[in-house]
Amino acid sequence: MKIYLAKADAAGKSVALDDMILTKALPTTAGSKMLDGYMSLFDATVVEKLEQAGYSVAGKLNVGEFGFDVTGETSYFGAVKNADGAYVSASAAALDEGEIAAVVTLDVNGAPRRSAAQSGKVFIKPTYGTVSRYGTVPVACSGETVGVMANTSDSVKAVLTAIAGYDCKDGTMHPQSKIDASLRDAKPQKIAFLTGFDTDEAVSAKLSAFKTACESAGVETAQVDGSIFKLASSAWNILMCAELCNNVSRYDGIKYGYRSKEYTTIDELYTNSRTEAFGDELKAAILYGSDVLSTKNYMPVYDKALRVRRVLVEAFGELFAQYDAVVMPACSRLVYGDADVAPYACYEENVYTAPASISGLPAVVCAGVQIVGKAFTDGMLLELAKIAEEGK
Amino acid sequence: MEKTTLISLEKLNQLRLSDEQRESVLAFFDAQQSRRAELERIDTENVERMVHVMPIMTVVREDVEKKLFTREELQKGAPETVDGYWQVPRLVD
Amino acid sequence: MKYETVIGLEVHIELATESKIFCSCSAKFGGEQNDHVCPACCGMPGMLPIVNKHVVDLGMTAGMMLNCHINRTTTFDKKSYYYPDLPCSYQTTQLFAPVAVNGLVDIETSQGKKQIRIKQIHMEEDAGKLVHDDWSDTSLVDFNRTSVPLIEIVSQPDLHSAEEVIAYLERLRSLLRFARVSDCRMEQGSMRCDVNLSVRPEGSNVLGVRTEMKNMNSLSAIERAIEYETARHIDAIENGTEELVQETRRWDDLKGKSFSMRTKENAGDYRYFPDPNIMPVVIDDEWFDSIKATLPELPEVKKARYMGELGLNEYDAQQLCDSRALCDCFEQAYAVCGNAKEAANYLISDCMNMLNKAGLTADQLTLSGAGLGKLIKLVTEGTVSRPNAKKILAALFEQDVDPETYAKDNGYIVSNDTDLLKTVVKAVVASDPKTVADYKAGKEKVLMALFGRCMKELKGNCDPQTLREVLIEEVMKA
Repeated sequence: MKIYLAKADAAGKSVALDDMILTKALPTTAGSKMLDGYMSLFDATVVEKLEQAGYSVAGKLNVGEFGFDVTGETSYFGAVKNADGAYVSASAAALDEGEIAAVVTLDVNGAPRRSAAQSGKVFIKPTYGTVSRYGTVPVACSGETVGVMANTSDSVKAVLTAIAGYDCKDGTMHPQSKIDASLRDAKPQKIAFLTGFDTDEAVSAKLSAFKTACESAGVETAQVDGSIFKLASSAWNILMCAELCNNVSRYDGIKYGYRSKEYTTIDELYTNSRTEAFGDELKAAILYGSDVLSTKNYMPVYDKALRVRRVLVEAFGELFAQYDAVVMPACSRLVYGDADVAPYACYEENVYTAPASISGLPAVVCAGVQIVGKAFTDGMLLELAKIAEEGK
Repeated sequence: MEKTTLISLEKLNQLRLSDEQRESVLAFFDAQQSRRAELERIDTENVERMVHVMPIMTVVREDVEKKLFTREELQKGAPETVDGYWQVPRLVD
Repeated sequence: MKYETVIGLEVHIELATESKIFCSCSAKFGGEQNDHVCPACCGMPGMLPIVNKHVVDLGMTAGMMLNCHINRTTTFDKKSYYYPDLPCSYQTTQLFAPVAVNGLVDIETSQGKKQIRIKQIHMEEDAGKLVHDDWSDTSLVDFNRTSVPLIEIVSQPDLHSAEEVIAYLERLRSLLRFARVSDCRMEQGSMRCDVNLSVRPEGSNVLGVRTEMKNMNSLSAIERAIEYETARHIDAIENGTEELVQETRRWDDLKGKSFSMRTKENAGDYRYFPDPNIMPVVIDDEWFDSIKATLPELPEVKKARYMGELGLNEYDAQQLCDSRALCDCFEQAYAVCGNAKEAANYLISDCMNMLNKAGLTADQLTLSGAGLGKLIKLVTEGTVSRPNAKKILAALFEQDVDPETYAKDNGYIVSNDTDLLKTVVKAVVASDPKTVADYKAGKEKVLMALFGRCMKELKGNCDPQTLREVLIEEVMKA
């Protein structure tokens, strides 16, 4: 595990960043040998916004290679395990040490949501386009979102308020008025628990506890079949890998980053550098992403996934016509052993996180459950998180 | 997927796998391919593809030139430069 | 057997913008290597593409000039391949919804008039440049041109000879320079052309094997390349000298031959997909109309108007209509002075001479049309003499001065002081009795010598007609 520590602020205004967020002062590696020691010339917009709001950046935290794995296990700098031998994310581990108020982290494929559910943290993946992605290492740009993890929903809210906001340097952002609206508090009336997602008993218990907490807080609950959203996983795998393949093609050993010692031709320079610097899981993702974009597969696979995305967004829309939010698990189990982070496990384990990733909807994880809401209801989801916090 | 197809994908993406890795990746491809079959359950015949999840239009920028960094700053982390150029092995064409 | 050549063109035009298409780096030609570069256009992670409005303006303008349909929602896509001049290993371009489609371009050749169909115009970013270093036997990469905005104009395969191709390219160049889309300079690479060519027996409707040729940097090279490639195809078909394959070939103008290329171009799968970071560019009515309003009159329409309404001869009208800058200056000058012939003369002879001396093209003229108009007024009203007008024009050419103020400051105003005039004339007449005698003896031409001397004494500041009258009067009195 690699953590770059700068300074921790005693006033509780220290925030750490995951290593997908570019900083001038500290290296940004994206958990890859390719970017070992890479120094960005500029700070991400979220870094500037944090500093404007009086936060200081305490350090950078390790991520799985390009941030799309189960919980950080594919990092070139090594995986993180807790005292019980379970895999955890560096973000959750750092929060447990108690020096920092929050972690700002890029949610590419649900890793921070799984991590928060397992470590008892609160995390929000806000509505797509409300926090600037300028200065984040790009992987799956159509769905990845900068989010916030902390010990309490209040801390999450405070840091999210600091980093959300229009930025003309990110062309996928909503106007400021919509972003302001997304953070507004609102009382949820009626929420639906999605059925059809298998989990272990520990996760089911969390869901039941949250249901009880909601009901005693006067929030009406219902159960709705959510099976259709299980299709998000394989559609998201297609879109994510395609975008990843394209985004990491810039790492070629020419301009910066790792260059192999062994080459005579340009193709050897490219191939050896990438082969030596990329991990196996990343290589598989690149190859899969390239395959789904091939002339043969583009229409039946890639374009199909884009259409499935619309179907899923519309299915969410129908639910939100009746319910203020939907609740679902964030992961299959609360403890990850070796088998749970085996190669390619992230493509299965994301069945819980892909629905919100593929649709850009806000998702909050708290007390081991995931709450997904309509776009721009981030403030209301954090109210629900409060109910979960009180009930746990 | 055939191994030869995988090898051509490796070439296209400037990667080289060992035979052992190839077996593992082929199994991964097969697994994803069978999961893709689930998607066929959804009729998308008359569904428009959705590239961007939010209905946002491009906000264009005015055509104003601005220099952000010097060449020296940009090449600080470069593996090899000559005379302000990035250097690579000689290309044939 | 007789053969027909079938040619479609892909023309790349670098747009006349200040900054690049997705970042704010300079898009100007030249500069030290890698000086017009930022993290985005040298492939570093983290910066996101933000579309330059002027690129879309010029894309639309080009579309309208070539009679295209403008797609009111236009989107960008990514095309992937590895090559050192492409820092992200992908090019952002337009595949699914290009800015303009289905156009028509009129051309005229020795065979008569013809229309060439335009398939589409798309906006995209240029690649960088590779320099081959013989000393170290390496290649050196310069990203100054990376992400400079381009449009690619794709024609239908409607062209059948080198002559038609040249006529088409000249027409494109004229229209796009006129609309200030680009300076279209082939020698600087701001206009480049790929030729897709196949050959088939005359009368056949099946296309032959198509090859794509690149790397022609002049119209004459394009002409030679088309002739060579046509002959190569016919030879292959008739004599089986080689098997034709669909491929990209590089034209070597020195050797006069085309060669198969090894590169990226023959690599195949580009894995195009829509760019998730660039939202659709929506062209609303206001934007559309604002571009429509800036479209210039077509050069041939202007020419007809200059000849008809303004009474210029064909030569002068043609000279002006070769350049948008000349036309604009001419029209502004005419609006001020109302004298088309004078305005045209000053521009075509005096201004063109000054441009040539300064090594500039007509399009680089910065002369104020209003200034020229005022100067012409001063001349025709008799306030400034013609020789002095040329001096004022030279000053006006350098910087935007007010002709009248400049004339006053430099003593170029025609004097109405008849006493001074008479004194000067008397002195000149008295100094040269021989010429006076010759004139009186009937040699009328010699008067010009006296006239010239008086004019010189008066520094050109007198009305020639008055001078002439006073001079004759004094000579006859002498």
